[in-house]
Amino acid sequence: MSIFEVGRLCVKIAGRDAGNRCVIIEKMDDHFVVVDGATRRRKVNINHLEPLQDLITIKANASHEEVGKQFEKLGLAVWNTKPKPAVTRPTRHKVIKNATPEPKPTKKAVKNVVSTEAPLTT
Amino acid sequence: MPAGRFRSGRFRKVFVKTPGGRTTIHYRERKPQRAKCASCKKVLAGVPRERPAIFANLPKTAKRPERPYGGVLCSACMRTRLQQQTRGSA
Repeated sequence: MSIFEVGRLCVKIAGRDAGNRCVIIEKMDDHFVVVDGATRRRKVNINHLEPLQDLITIKANASHEEVGKQFEKLGLAVWNTKPKPAVTRPTRHKVIKNATPEPKPTKKAVKNVVSTEAPLTT
Repeated sequence: MPAGRFRSGRFRKVFVKTPGGRTTIHYRERKPQRAKCASCKKVLAGVPRERPAIFANLPKTAKRPERPYGGVLCSACMRTRLQQQTRGSA
């Protein structure tokens, strides 16, 4: 009767998510379990887990949402990946060599325009 | 005599044979030593040996492993530390 059973809260000791809480949702064999919670859902060696005293009532192979609900009840963080909104890539203005430059807007010569209107006299 | 700026322990001499048959000295900068674990003093993996000017321009993920205490503790020491923290608080 191993301490690593379905519903046991553990802390991950190894890996990128070391220090995070997780719950065992499936026992694969003597060495491996499947884990979910504040870590992503994955297979983990029991050597990389430190079990806690808490046991959560959870079914084997519970979905990520159910695990999330149980974790939120206990006030623990849950691993969630939000899909990022699609962003259009910034376009680069391509510089084409040997291209004729765009005709610059030519300024018309402005002559001293003598206004036909009568000058304002106060 | 080497130029003043090379008269420092920071530089090492590399003896280079030229095409003309002479042997000249090239002064190269020494790289810093490898980073060590803060507790067990083992050499840390994942931390490159570069001078500060190059190190500063590396991206953050290229300078240390992507785990808690990465670049400070070796993986074994990190695991025992996390274990003790968990057992102490439980």
